[in-house]
Amino acid sequence: MRQVFRGAVLLLLLLIVVPAPANAQQEQPPLVRVGTEGTYPPFSFHDPQTQELTGYDIEVVKAIAAKAGWRLEFVETQWDAIFPALDASRIDLIANQVSRNPERAAKYGLSSTYTYSRGVIVRRTGDDRIKSIADLSGKTTAQSSTSNWAKVAREAGANVEAVEGFAQAAALLQQGRVDAIVNDNIAVLDYLATTGSKDVEIAGDAGQAGSEQVLALRQADSALLSQANQAIDALKADGTLRGISQKYFKADVSVQDGGAADLSEGRGPRSTGDILASTAWPMFVGLVKVTIPLTALSFAIGLVLALLVALARISPYKVLSGLARAFISIIRGTPLLLQLFIVFYGLPQIGLKFPPFTAAVVAFSLNVAGYAAEVIRSAILSVPRGQFEAASTIGFGYAQTLRRIVLPQAARTAVPPLSNTLLSLLKDTSLGSVVLLTELFRESQLAAAESNEFLALYAFAGLYYWVICVALSAGQKRLETRLNRYVIA
Amino acid sequence: MTDIRIEVTGLKKSFGSLDVLRGIDFASERGTSTVLLGPSGSGKTTLLRSLNVLDTPDSGVVRIDDVSVDFSALPPGKAGRAEGARLRAQSGMVFQSHNLFPHRTVLQNLTEGPVVAQKRPVDEVVAEARSLLDQVGLADKADSYPYQLSGGQQQRVGIARALALKPRVVLFDEPTSALDPELVGEVLAVIKDLASEGWTTVVVTHEIRFAERVADQVLFLDGGVIVEHGTPGQVIGDPREERTRKFLRRVLDHG
Repeated sequence: MRQVFRGAVLLLLLLIVVPAPANAQQEQPPLVRVGTEGTYPPFSFHDPQTQELTGYDIEVVKAIAAKAGWRLEFVETQWDAIFPALDASRIDLIANQVSRNPERAAKYGLSSTYTYSRGVIVRRTGDDRIKSIADLSGKTTAQSSTSNWAKVAREAGANVEAVEGFAQAAALLQQGRVDAIVNDNIAVLDYLATTGSKDVEIAGDAGQAGSEQVLALRQADSALLSQANQAIDALKADGTLRGISQKYFKADVSVQDGGAADLSEGRGPRSTGDILASTAWPMFVGLVKVTIPLTALSFAIGLVLALLVALARISPYKVLSGLARAFISIIRGTPLLLQLFIVFYGLPQIGLKFPPFTAAVVAFSLNVAGYAAEVIRSAILSVPRGQFEAASTIGFGYAQTLRRIVLPQAARTAVPPLSNTLLSLLKDTSLGSVVLLTELFRESQLAAAESNEFLALYAFAGLYYWVICVALSAGQKRLETRLNRYVIA
Repeated sequence: MTDIRIEVTGLKKSFGSLDVLRGIDFASERGTSTVLLGPSGSGKTTLLRSLNVLDTPDSGVVRIDDVSVDFSALPPGKAGRAEGARLRAQSGMVFQSHNLFPHRTVLQNLTEGPVVAQKRPVDEVVAEARSLLDQVGLADKADSYPYQLSGGQQQRVGIARALALKPRVVLFDEPTSALDPELVGEVLAVIKDLASEGWTTVVVTHEIRFAERVADQVLFLDGGVIVEHGTPGQVIGDPREERTRKFLRRVLDHG
């Protein structure tokens, strides 16, 4: 018991003291962290066979890195978190079909254009209400809320439903939950070819002007930007970009008027069974490597914190109990997702930057502490007054009384509600998917984006969670039996 | 300092506006049994709890053997608590509702204090604890949990737990009040044995017959003061004060 506590506290300290990976050594080429969705085929997605991150943008940025002499690290996150991640220096560059627009040009360092495309409007097949951009007025479209396409749709008078990526948008359109989508013609062609869907179709162009896609960097990183631009120019000159484009689109999208993209061959539809079979393992890895360690660590640290908060809460010192009360109130009175965002995106602005896993552990353990503190407090108070008195008459001080007399008895009362906290935590770790953690749920999202098998994949992910919860519940029952051995004959 | 084990001088204690102890003075000689009698609310339990600082007196001096604490001059905070703890270590306490540790076996209930708080060697403590259990007739219950015992057995374990600390004084707070009538005898027998073995005891009880047989000194409290004190023959057999007589009539009628 003691060693566990001590170990957990030590770990907490370690996590806090070592917030970021050590900087690369001087001699090595610069490490560039590339933010990308990983769910935006054919630009950035996971190859269903190999699970490797691939796509047009991925190959382009790899080619740029080879020319510029960078080492690359890919960080996958959903679109709406990409620019915040760039702002918070969690990534150095975005390679995800960032459209050039004046707002972005003012705020970020934008590279030379490596994709010329145009926006198209997608509608349910035969929906004649929507023919051109003007028809979007008063209609609802599904977009990543901070994307350039969302801006186009809003300017046309549409209500924009925020989604994470094109696959979700297409599903909403198909289900009749939205009226249209504005997106890049290449992404749409890829979707149509891959799914073979006849339910949605391209209604027409979204405005006359074509769109130019670029890499986005922080404005301050001008050296990195000029390296990128030199590399892009060189890759255009030596035909590398054309080669990559031909491979994916049978046209050269790296220049204006390089021909119409043709994705009719698609990546070939696959059976649901195939998709599940190839996704089961990555999901399992996400479960074992992220979901379970994240849950276990956060719970252990959270319990230690909860005990301290509970003790502070029942202490006679007004300042201590007031602080504890405030902490509990704030944790229980704000959404977990918001707490996670504060730790992950907010704290870096005051110089506290943790890697994603650590940030998630910090947020989740604080959250557990807030809820478990009340459980532990009431469990301690449920131990009869006479036990405290008896302990003091045999010469025990505060700490000894707590550890040897009160907590073992309080544990009996606390185990069932704490088990609930643990089960909730396990499932809540799926929120880690929004702070760059590739955990179980994120793996299912990645696979769903590539294959559009939402039902099968999310149900399968649910099965994993459920199995772990059943196992934990069985553990709870055993623990309760053990703790009850001295009260039930 | 002849053989005075407990010496209480000018002890006062109030809870809020209620004066529970209003100046208590008494002394107990070594190896004697002092019984505190009195109606409920008379302050007898508070007096007993003050002796081992479960309740902290507001003023007055308590001395047990060589530890003396002047509560009028008790330093605040940690230092004061340390003094209280030193005085507390002089006595063992037996509670009305035994307050055994339910998650520890009978033997562990006895060894917990000596091993963990007094840091005495485990082997020695266990051997002593077993002989104490033997003494209270529960040698075969060492590995039972408290819930597996009868009320009388639980209270005997409570007594053994207090003795295991090797205290200078053993305090009993109505040790038989929570017991079924048929179990009272076995507990009183154990307490009586202690008195004859030379333990210094202070007992709060309603068992007048027991007090008559066992006590060397009886204190009758009412309204926070000692109304009358003396041998059982004097206080119970021939009380001088009307309040004492009234109390005894009531208790004996019911008992």
